[in-house]
Amino acid sequence: MEQLLKLQSLMLSKYKKVMLVDDNEVDLKINSKIISISKLFDETILCQSGEEALSYLSKHIDDVSNLPDFILLDIQMPEMDGFEFLEIYKKFPASVTDKCLIAILSSTLDFGDIKKAEANPHVIKLLKKPLFPQELEKLLHKYFA
Amino acid sequence: MNAPTVRVLYIDDEENNLHAFKAGFRRQYEIYTAISAAEGLKILENISVHVIIADQKMPQTTGVEFFKSIINTYPDPIRILLTGYTDIEALADAINHGDIYRYITKPWNDLELHNSIKNAYDAYKAKIDLRNKIAELEKTNDELNRFIYSISHELRAPLVSAMGIVNLVKMEGLFNSSGEYWGLIETCSNKLDYYIQKTLQYYKNNKTVAKHTSVEFSKLINELIELYSYSDRDTHFHVEIKQDVPFYGDAFRIEVILGNLISNAIKYQKEDEKNKKVDINVNVTPAAVEITIADNGMGILNEHLEKIFTQFFKSKINHGSGLGLFIVKEALNKINGKISVSSNTTDGTTFKITIPNVK
Repeated sequence: MEQLLKLQSLMLSKYKKVMLVDDNEVDLKINSKIISISKLFDETILCQSGEEALSYLSKHIDDVSNLPDFILLDIQMPEMDGFEFLEIYKKFPASVTDKCLIAILSSTLDFGDIKKAEANPHVIKLLKKPLFPQELEKLLHKYFA
Repeated sequence: MNAPTVRVLYIDDEENNLHAFKAGFRRQYEIYTAISAAEGLKILENISVHVIIADQKMPQTTGVEFFKSIINTYPDPIRILLTGYTDIEALADAINHGDIYRYITKPWNDLELHNSIKNAYDAYKAKIDLRNKIAELEKTNDELNRFIYSISHELRAPLVSAMGIVNLVKMEGLFNSSGEYWGLIETCSNKLDYYIQKTLQYYKNNKTVAKHTSVEFSKLINELIELYSYSDRDTHFHVEIKQDVPFYGDAFRIEVILGNLISNAIKYQKEDEKNKKVDINVNVTPAAVEITIADNGMGILNEHLEKIFTQFFKSKINHGSGLGLFIVKEALNKINGKISVSSNTTDGTTFKITIPNVK
């Protein structure tokens, strides 16, 4: 484990901004910490709801440098769930949707949820909580390399 | 217990018949009479009757026409048609469109009519009871579905947060900072998570209707190995897949079956084995897929071999949940698959499964 950590800290954080969308404060805290320790991103944008995430994206719609490169999206959230978020997200211009890759990060074991998430063209993968940095890194490698 | 009050509506345009009916049956039943279909309808609007008897030959509306007209508005009462003629056409019409329970010829025989009313009421009760039972079952089912869904979310979410914290502790190098406590928390959390997952698998296997999709074994098996060897990188997999023809089957159950067997193969290795290995062989034919999963792990005692597929069977040495292989067996039963096992404590365990190709 320690060896692995060292290896990671040697790597430069290639991907700049990540956005975490999760209603659960504890998970938001844990996952942003995991991301910051593993140095996978320079900056983490925390959003406690889908609405908050959407308003961030709209606010920076013409400002590519402030848009996240990667979004980790929870499914079960009150009011606007992850799928509803995606429905609105897909209406954003390509300049946004091409830049922000989305992975679902959820504790769900529901087969229906999993199928639905994997079928969404904007979702590159469904990651299951707890978030493992190695798993995330592998995914990022695949899509950003 | 008092005999239930049976409410009977009798419609006939002949006043004499109405009187005779009342006189003959008022002691046994609560009787309502009507001189025409229109009158009868008025009574139905106010009283919930169990049995309706109607004369066929009435001016304006015949008995069958009346029954037809109320089939959607009053579907519950059981209908008996009375007629003086053996009118085949009316009879056929009554059966086909009027949902008639009995057909009785006039003049009626008191005992016959009495029996018919009694049977009609029983049919009414059975119908209502069944409907209530179905509603009750649907409600229970619905609650169970929501309960299962909430297990998979509400119950698991905080557990997964705790597991995340343990990861974080590891990353910050604090895992060994409090003796073995963090390790113990990790073991407990993983165990609870495992139970939740197995419970859901078992439940879904019981509930879900088999859905047939195409299955690509090389993709599926590699994903499963990736998933389960996460915690243990020591085990080497040797996978050989021969799939020249498409395979169709229940992807969910096949994943459950292979997932459990692969995770067992990883979990039950010999601790001191230097060359931990699992061989997986898949051979797809148009008729079926044959899969062999062979490990060189700790093996299964001969006297346990018969019991490993029973629910909650655990051996003393290996701390399983007693659910994994039980679920494998249950899932195979649902898709007409077969499993056999050979094992000894020297060479390890080999599971062979066969699942029919449904296309």
